[in-house]
Amino acid sequence: MVVTRVTTEKPATAEELAKRLREAADAGSAVFPVGGGRAVEMGDPPARDGIEMRMGSLDRVIEHSQADMVVSVEAGISLEALQAELGKTGQFLPLDPFNSPGHTIGGLLATGWTGPLRQRYGSPRDFLIGIRVALPDGHLASAGGRVVKNVSGYDLMKLHYGALGTLGVIVAASFKVFPKPLHDATVQSRHTAMDEAWAAADRVLGMPMAPAAVELFSDGRVLARFLGSPEATKRMVADLGWTKAEALGWKKHSTAAPPKWARIAAPRHRLRSILDRLGRDERWWASPGIGVANWEVAGGAEDVQAVRAAATAAGGSLVLMAGPSEFRHDAGAWGTPPATLHLMRRLRSAFDPNQVINPGRFVV
Amino acid sequence: MALEHAVLEDLRRVVGREHVIEASNDLRIFERDASIEGAAPDAVVLPATTAEVSAVIKIASKNRIPVVPRGAGTGLSGGAVTIHGGIALQVTRMRKILEIDPVAQTALVEPGVVNQELSLVAASHRLFYAPDPSSQKACTIGGNAAENSGGPHCLYYGVTTNHVLGMEVVLADGSVQWVAGDAPDRIGLDLCGVLVGSEGTLCAITKIKVRLLSTPPSVATLLAAFSSIDAASQAVSAVIGRGIVPAALEMMDKVTVGAVEAHYHAGYPTDAGAVLLVEVDGIPESTRELMAAVRNVLAENQGYAMREAQSPSERDLLWAGRKGAIGALGRIKPNYYLHDGVVPRSRLPQILSAVGEIGVHYRLPVANVFHAGDGNLHPNILFDLRDRDVLPQVESAGEEMLRAVVELGGALSGEHGIGLEKNAFMPWVFSADDLDAMRRVKDALDAHGIMNPGKIFPDPQRKAPHLAGRTGLAIEAKWW
Repeated sequence: MVVTRVTTEKPATAEELAKRLREAADAGSAVFPVGGGRAVEMGDPPARDGIEMRMGSLDRVIEHSQADMVVSVEAGISLEALQAELGKTGQFLPLDPFNSPGHTIGGLLATGWTGPLRQRYGSPRDFLIGIRVALPDGHLASAGGRVVKNVSGYDLMKLHYGALGTLGVIVAASFKVFPKPLHDATVQSRHTAMDEAWAAADRVLGMPMAPAAVELFSDGRVLARFLGSPEATKRMVADLGWTKAEALGWKKHSTAAPPKWARIAAPRHRLRSILDRLGRDERWWASPGIGVANWEVAGGAEDVQAVRAAATAAGGSLVLMAGPSEFRHDAGAWGTPPATLHLMRRLRSAFDPNQVINPGRFVV
Repeated sequence: MALEHAVLEDLRRVVGREHVIEASNDLRIFERDASIEGAAPDAVVLPATTAEVSAVIKIASKNRIPVVPRGAGTGLSGGAVTIHGGIALQVTRMRKILEIDPVAQTALVEPGVVNQELSLVAASHRLFYAPDPSSQKACTIGGNAAENSGGPHCLYYGVTTNHVLGMEVVLADGSVQWVAGDAPDRIGLDLCGVLVGSEGTLCAITKIKVRLLSTPPSVATLLAAFSSIDAASQAVSAVIGRGIVPAALEMMDKVTVGAVEAHYHAGYPTDAGAVLLVEVDGIPESTRELMAAVRNVLAENQGYAMREAQSPSERDLLWAGRKGAIGALGRIKPNYYLHDGVVPRSRLPQILSAVGEIGVHYRLPVANVFHAGDGNLHPNILFDLRDRDVLPQVESAGEEMLRAVVELGGALSGEHGIGLEKNAFMPWVFSADDLDAMRRVKDALDAHGIMNPGKIFPDPQRKAPHLAGRTGLAIEAKWW
């Protein structure tokens, strides 16, 4: 566990959570929300002890409208439970994060974790349409709505997404969901030279019908997925001439979670320049069409800092996703803060002036 | 209230004498956007560079003068109206496409670049910019980013915020900042995400980096007739329920079709109760397959007189009818009030019948032309300003329509913004705590409230429209 000397609480309702947040704020305590516990090692080690706030009781599907293709859930529901509900009507949330199963929706939104399907569907940033958060002053505040297109007021969904709870604890969310694709085909190719593997990834990304997911592995494998109308999908598979692979391979891939692990993000055409710096024996997997790679860190803090320098030089970033707290402390989870940090701090102060939620973990 | 002489001189020193407008006759040109309510600015300032925008806002900040960024003035919610006076910051001199990167598939543009111009230039690289508001021949990318504009093809491709990678902005203190950029998963809070769609109330936008998409090799466009709006609405739900998300799925009612056909002669069936315009794109195999599937679903749902565009020019004509529909309605009445609201898609039949009843009650013709796939309706109330006392009737009818939208679990605006038009209605949807959360963002970034005051948030200085006091909060009752 990341946080030491904690007490654990499990609020039964959003109102109770909000009340406990305010009480914690008044008492000068810290609060660490935990969903499925799949991302508790993300970020810097906490700055102080506090209450571990378990979100597991807030696990209802509030409303799923099949016809509207919109779902509202409480934040503590697991991704798998939500998919099971949506699956009953042939729908799904296009989110396939690593270190699955067991993520909660609130955890995924707070951390901004994504997976290969982002190539086709974007990230939750693109399909999160409403949010409700508990604030450290005890209020509950909503933004957005339950419709797929909405410009009523500020888009606070964007601010909370990936904010690690620092502007409020997410208690409920609404999503635009998607119909299961008419056809789903997965193919792969294997290469001994990385040059060839990158060329293969480029080739599949340039196909006239864009792939829904493309993953490139440090062992020279390229895995690609096409979703869409049957004939078109079949033509892409035929044109590529790669080996057919099981769709289940994606599920297995989503369980990837090395003990020490970093996410490298960069403009997609510059991702390779960073990964090329890693030694031939380093293990990583990447979504080259998105510009994100996941690196299993074998070495220490200095290795992380060297790769981070390369990522920064390429206009990107390196974030620690998991690892022992001493390692995260030494390497720094986030790297150099952005030039707009002072603005982010003003926003944080507006919502959590005493740094009650996740103190020390986030860059802001 | 005219600006002090010293302030005007400061502004002239920044942008040049000829780029500050302060003669009251000239200012009248800038008192409105494409919505109803207007108020003249105290001065119009036309900067040419980011540095000039920054210097102008510094002057405004020092003197606590409102600043209202303005693009082409095509907005429909009063976003560019200087309701509290001050400076209209007209960005149309900043209209360069600074860079198109065909490898990264991005473009860097100044805020005054016209939406359609970007797509025309990108077309030479077989790329396009997806958000396509009906005003795309005139509206600017800066205005689109400020309002988070949509358009017919946003059903599949998403709205402006899904295509903005980063922006250079000038904040209320005149500081220049880059927010976000080409790389995904950036460190820290998503400032860019909250600035897009903030309607000029948090910043002025001086550069926009947008994503461009590859032009699909094949497009198919189909027009289908239905006996009623209900039948067409059912068909919309059926298409999407079948797992097909078309690039665009638009509906026009009988009133609109009649006007469009008289004007464009595009072959729209004037006897129909409603028509759908459906477009799918992709590789030839997928458009063929998807269009065949769409035709089946439409036929199963009482669609008839289906006609697929056989050539690019025929497709353009069908779209000219859709995108020019509002203008064509001028054949019925000279003026229109175009509303914008979103309901859950399954509620389309209910909202459209409510809209029809409200029109009948007020004896005002209403034409519907809208993004059915998104549930984003656009009732057009048609009227003649020369008719005595018609405007309060038009406003009341529009307000009742929005009320009906909210009561069906919908949103006040899908793509036009809240602005001046709907800020009094925000409490229909958002609680005091919800609005307070938004207010905290505003105060954190614009402590003195100089950026586009009087917009988005209910404005106590203005009279509340008479329906605004009605009770019941949709967001509490229907969402959580």
